[in-house]
Amino acid sequence: MGTIAQAELYRLIAQAQERGERVAVATVAHTRGSTPQRRGAKMLFFENGEVAGTVGGGCIEAEVWAEARAALRNGTSALHHFQLTADEASEEGMVCGGTMEIFIDVWKSREEG
Amino acid sequence: MHDSSKLSSPQAILRAVARVLENNSIAALATLVEAESNVGAKLLVDERDERTGSLSDSVLDDAVATFTKTFLQSRAGARTFKLEEIIGQQERALGSLETDARILFERIEPEPRLIICGAGHVGASLARLARFIGYRTTLIDDRADFVARERFPDEEIELIAASNWADALREKIGAGRGVSVAVVTRGHNEDEECMRAVMAARPDYVGLIGSKRRTNIVLERLHDAGFDEERLREVRAPVGLDIGAVSPQEVALSILAEIVAERRGGSGRPLSDWRRT
Repeated sequence: MGTIAQAELYRLIAQAQERGERVAVATVAHTRGSTPQRRGAKMLFFENGEVAGTVGGGCIEAEVWAEARAALRNGTSALHHFQLTADEASEEGMVCGGTMEIFIDVWKSREEG
Repeated sequence: MHDSSKLSSPQAILRAVARVLENNSIAALATLVEAESNVGAKLLVDERDERTGSLSDSVLDDAVATFTKTFLQSRAGARTFKLEEIIGQQERALGSLETDARILFERIEPEPRLIICGAGHVGASLARLARFIGYRTTLIDDRADFVARERFPDEEIELIAASNWADALREKIGAGRGVSVAVVTRGHNEDEECMRAVMAARPDYVGLIGSKRRTNIVLERLHDAGFDEERLREVRAPVGLDIGAVSPQEVALSILAEIVAERRGGSGRPLSDWRRT
């Protein structure tokens, strides 16, 4: 589940659309301090529970997953702020400690328009 | 102001993105990420200023389209801007826009490509390393057994046994956008043959392996053959950054470091230099 090429990423979104499904696309929109992924990194969440790509390791992934699942259900796109405090980071043995803004965007199915 | 029929249909955006990637073009995808309404609205602006979608406000769309040039000229892959950073003074005076809205710009472009002429020790190492770094990699040699699949089990490395270097290069370089070429063949006749084809095309980066003396001989012959002096000066010859590389793998690292630095705008200097100056 590493980073994925742009062409592949948009192909996966298009395929989900063809199946008539929603996709939640999490994108690292802004970072400050030491964070585990670069701006623009993306992770896709599909209705069947599958994922692709990454927005960066264990620090915040669980929270992003929860927000993305909620977004898939309610169909709302929004910008989310995540704090990576030094304490949390060191507890998890991660080398991050900063803030990340992640945009979770719901690509609605074709039927929803 | 809010004409919903103009809002970006996901299918239209996806088709436009696919077209940009297939055509080896570049575009910016702007998404409204923080606003009172229409969060998630998208506008794709390509390098010829063709637009797909809308951020739901024509003044905003115009401002974003103009700003796209600035964004694409920077080397940023993705960045979020406040509306006030994007709109000019005149538009701000129009006043209908929320100035605290934020827009995510993302660069849409194909994966960078690396074409390697010569599948000897350096070329082979370079192909493997370039794949690891994320380059779409093509390895060309005129000796079929050097580009046999058994040597390169990674199917993502494209292998070409070329009876004619120039034809293979012309076809692979295409328009040259996003393409780097490393010429690392076994001898200077082959190097020169490749360099003639490479200079006739327009890749973003050209590197030629060899000593200063050996590469100078090749470049002088190209000069005598009428190739443009300024473009010859841009050729990285000898190819690579000075990391004291000795083994073929180290030479490959030196070459790829230079290619990445060229693409990302790096200086190639140690990041710790500031401590000593």
